Amino acid sequence: MGVFVFLPLVLPLTAWPIARLAEQHLHPRAATWLLSAVAGVLAVCSTLCLALLMVVGTAQLPGNPLPDGWSDPEVREAVPYDEIAGKAAIPALIAVLAACTRTAWRHHRVRRRAERALAGLPATPVAVLPDEQPYAYALPGRRNRIVVTTGMLAGLGSAERRALFAHERVHLARRHHRFLLTVQLAARANPFLRPLRTAVTYLAERWADEEAAGAVGSRRTVALAIGKSALISRGAPIATLAHFAAPGPVPRRVAALLGPAPATRIWPPVFTRVGLAAWTAAAGTTASALSSANAAVTLFLILHAATPM
Amino acid sequence: MADQNRGGTEQSPRRRGQGELEGQVLAVLGQAPGAVPVAWVQERLGGTLAYTTVITILTRLHAKGAVARRRAGRSFEWTAVADAAGLAALRMRRVLDAESDREAVLARFLTSLTPGDEQVLRDLLAAQGPGEGEG
Repeated sequence: MGVFVFLPLVLPLTAWPIARLAEQHLHPRAATWLLSAVAGVLAVCSTLCLALLMVVGTAQLPGNPLPDGWSDPEVREAVPYDEIAGKAAIPALIAVLAACTRTAWRHHRVRRRAERALAGLPATPVAVLPDEQPYAYALPGRRNRIVVTTGMLAGLGSAERRALFAHERVHLARRHHRFLLTVQLAARANPFLRPLRTAVTYLAERWADEEAAGAVGSRRTVALAIGKSALISRGAPIATLAHFAAPGPVPRRVAALLGPAPATRIWPPVFTRVGLAAWTAAAGTTASALSSANAAVTLFLILHAATPM
Repeated sequence: MADQNRGGTEQSPRRRGQGELEGQVLAVLGQAPGAVPVAWVQERLGGTLAYTTVITILTRLHAKGAVARRRAGRSFEWTAVADAAGLAALRMRRVLDAESDREAVLARFLTSLTPGDEQVLRDLLAAQGPGEGEG
């Protein structure tokens, strides 16, 4: 076993190269799915590992409610530096759980408050608010809604408005808030997963841009709409609400739309340089996820065996 | 102030229900011929709400800047300043402001544009010429 038990905590580092490659070379839809799934799996493994370390580290402390078998030498042997690791795992796990709870709670609080703010308006799919401050949001909920201010609409031509609505509708239809919440929680669970959060936040916007371009039939119109609204817009208050213009480097999105369309196939063919790199990175990440899971499961089995039935 | 009417005549003052009540009061005020007293609003609402509840809602709307009031003798007379959409805009602005203030950690994702970004963006757009969507 040895130091392998610590692997799930550091393996998220191996996801960085694939985040970069996926961002640049995969279709945004495939990349969003891939990176969110990887982030989710690695975060769960990392947290599980932390929990198991904590159990091993605290089992020998007098007065704890855990089974006596868990402080057996065989169990302690599975974890190198068990005293330090176990004790360090306690505050770490508490911090992770607190941060995740807070993130999830904030996400729901903002959605609830936004929904309440719009109570009393007719139940239309688009709520236009008279406000000179330009912003546009996709508000997921029992009643999916797009909120846009007159300030935002005033800065856009009619084709660009259609592009904006198409973009927000993609956010709602594809449930992008779930991807965003997943990577946010993952980034809280293990700080090494933060680059994945950045990547997915950007990719979800790219995904919405590309589908919106398909819907309005012009990539250039979407590019102009994003560029203009970014220039008149302000930041989104919270990263789990998909926002039209603010998150991620906006110029990159505009430049991407002005360039050629991304390949519609989900995955590049193997025998190209990009394809080879992507496949290698994907295989590497899969291996890390598997060994994360393996370490967690092994530790779990050791504890299970040591538990008196 | 917001909690005054909890457990009052309104038996289930759910939070979401209050937002709807504000909308109803605002709608009634919007139909008023001019500045009207609380009793006028209460009557138009169908008389199901207590006088104090109506005052509470009006005061809350006043704090949000959605209604104006002027003193008439010993009480106030009220007029609508915003309509339902205007009220929603005011509420929404408060939600957004509260969040962006509190969560500076997340703000780096969301800052609109760095000065460098802005220049790049302007160049990209300039290279495209006038938008085809502009009529």
